[in-house]
Amino acid sequence: MSLIALALVAVTALVALEDGGPASLLRHAYLVPVLAGALRFGAVGGGLAAMAAVLLSAPFVLPEIERSGLTAEAVEGLVTFAVLGLVGVLSGVLRTRAGRQGRRYEVLVTIQRTLADEATLDVSLARLRAALADRLRVDEIAIVARDADRLVVAGGDRVVEGSLVARVLDGGGPVFVEDTGGSGRSRRAFATPLVSGGDILGALAVERKGEISVGERATLEAIGAHVGIALENARLVSQQRRFAVELAERVAMARRELEELDRAKSAFVAIASHELRTPLTALQGFSEILALRRLPPEEVTRLAEVMRREARRLGRIVSDLLDLSRIERGLEPALCRVPLKLEPAIEATVDIFRQGSATHFITTECEPSLPVVDADPDALERVLTNLISNAIKYSPTGSAVHVGARALDGTVAIEVADAGRGIPADALGRVFEPYYRVPDAAGAARGTGIGLAVVKALVEAHGGTVHVESAPALGTRVTVLLPSCAAAIPGRSRSVP
Amino acid sequence: MWVLDQPYIPRADRLSAGTPLMLLTVLAAGAAAAVVAIELGALPARALRIVGVTAGHGALLASALAWAGVSAPSQALTVALLGLASTAAGLAPFGAVAYLLPALCVIRLAARGQLTSLSLGTPVSPRGVFAGILVGAGLSSHLLISASRTLGMQVRVDHVPEVLAAIAYDVGANVLAAECFFRGALFNRAQRRWSFATAATVATAAYVLRYVVDPLLPKSAGLVVGAVFYLALLGAANCWLLWWSESLVPGLVSALLFFAAYRTLGSE
Repeated sequence: MSLIALALVAVTALVALEDGGPASLLRHAYLVPVLAGALRFGAVGGGLAAMAAVLLSAPFVLPEIERSGLTAEAVEGLVTFAVLGLVGVLSGVLRTRAGRQGRRYEVLVTIQRTLADEATLDVSLARLRAALADRLRVDEIAIVARDADRLVVAGGDRVVEGSLVARVLDGGGPVFVEDTGGSGRSRRAFATPLVSGGDILGALAVERKGEISVGERATLEAIGAHVGIALENARLVSQQRRFAVELAERVAMARRELEELDRAKSAFVAIASHELRTPLTALQGFSEILALRRLPPEEVTRLAEVMRREARRLGRIVSDLLDLSRIERGLEPALCRVPLKLEPAIEATVDIFRQGSATHFITTECEPSLPVVDADPDALERVLTNLISNAIKYSPTGSAVHVGARALDGTVAIEVADAGRGIPADALGRVFEPYYRVPDAAGAARGTGIGLAVVKALVEAHGGTVHVESAPALGTRVTVLLPSCAAAIPGRSRSVP
Repeated sequence: MWVLDQPYIPRADRLSAGTPLMLLTVLAAGAAAAVVAIELGALPARALRIVGVTAGHGALLASALAWAGVSAPSQALTVALLGLASTAAGLAPFGAVAYLLPALCVIRLAARGQLTSLSLGTPVSPRGVFAGILVGAGLSSHLLISASRTLGMQVRVDHVPEVLAAIAYDVGANVLAAECFFRGALFNRAQRRWSFATAATVATAAYVLRYVVDPLLPKSAGLVVGAVFYLALLGAANCWLLWWSESLVPGLVSALLFFAAYRTLGSE
């Protein structure tokens, strides 16, 4: 500024020394400090420098008009006044606008960079506020953004009801306040919404002791719109990242499950082949003996009994496989339901085990007058066979297996309990999954891992439920709840076999 | 931050709120009565200047004080002191010293913190005072040079008592009342409603108008144009000084310097 003032004084001194009057060629040198003022300080600087130049050169022009009227020289002097004024103001305006555009561009880049970081909304807004305060040259700045049901405030603690920002957030549009109170130069405030797609995402508010021009307000409104869009973009990007992470986790989990399923199926094929081969071998061996040798009738009866048991076992495995196939296709097992008394069915199944195995002591306890259930006799037998077979397999030789039935409210509960090794708590939730075998059970007994899955499918096909309780080293109890016949078929009367 | 934690209530008061209408009516009635009395020969003609100064500057000063929230008795006292000083100055040149009385009264009010809304009694920086001196000196020198080159007026040093009396009048009445009202009160209020440019334009236009209609200003076209030109510059510059420094003191300094220079001018 001092240099500009010195230049103005120097030009005036040169014009005075030359004594060239209003048309002195040196008067054009005033353009240098005027342009310098405009380029350095904008429209105000250019205007003030031009005014100073006019004031300094007026004593050379006005006396000419006083003396001789509007001579050609005087007109030249007046035209110079106009040119200085126009050059100063217009150059200053252009410089101001260019500077404003430059700052606006810088601000937009700052907004994009600040909100592109992977940071929380609170941190991003605090950073953005610091960056904008530096570039907008305001005394105070606040940025408020909605985050779900809370307001994130950068530049203050909270938004008071009825405040300028609260009004903008309520949809009041941009608001300019000429004076916020206090003495001296008025303190202006301006608040504008952060908008994206017509939604108000927050507010940008500034305060300055001094002018906030119309141009600056327009710039702030544009910044509000840009911040709104950037916030929305940041929110979408963050959401997309969360989705991507979640998707990757799900894909990994599904892949692990598939791999586990694949391993289980491979194991199942091996086990099932073995399970099928055992009764087949027995059938093949004993039938060859019967065909090739002459045996006493008692021995023939004994071998026939063994063959019958192995054939039943083979049939059960095949039935389980067929049911599993239906389950995996999303179909229910095929049932042929009839009203059925439970006690004889339980006793018949238990008798088979009593005859086939003397390793365990199997007890039965059925409440008298149990209600009839609407069930498929074959399916029920397979359910009981699977449960009793498991109880025998996974409990020590000589221990007791208890089978009971009791009536509950509208249902009948069938319980199969053993005093075996029990099931670990973390495996309880998976025992009904197809092919799943409790990790340490594979070495304890043979099994395909489909028995309980078939039980569950058969029970649910009857409209019942099954659940398992177990305590390690104490035993396991499986409870099947089947709807009683009155509840299952209201008002229906059928014959009981 | 005000935008967050203070309730926003849009401004409802008018620009002229708080104007002491009663006191202004009394002053106008007194001036009218004095004019009638002079016309009837009940009062000497020179009483017209005393009444004019008291009523004109008194009205401006009282309005400024009222807008600042000063009590009615204090307003009346200041106007009374102005009238007393005007009377004393009308009786003898050295009586103009009495113009220091209203100035002291205003200084007392400012010291008590009653004129902060006029930006008086608030801290003032040396830079602000220096800027006021610079503006006043710049305009004064330009006035002296252009007046001597275009209007044929020269600096005269042969009427020192009259010049000193005129400067005392500026200190206690002319500059004090004009700066307190047009800058301290009017511009201060206007800038709280409108932009700086609009407020400065309104205050400066009113300031220039006050001098154009002043019966004491010579009515030759050259002088009127010159007065409008310089007063407009002085008014705008003082608005900026108040805006920039947040004190009325720099504007008072620049105006006093300018009018002091103006008082030294005289025809050959």
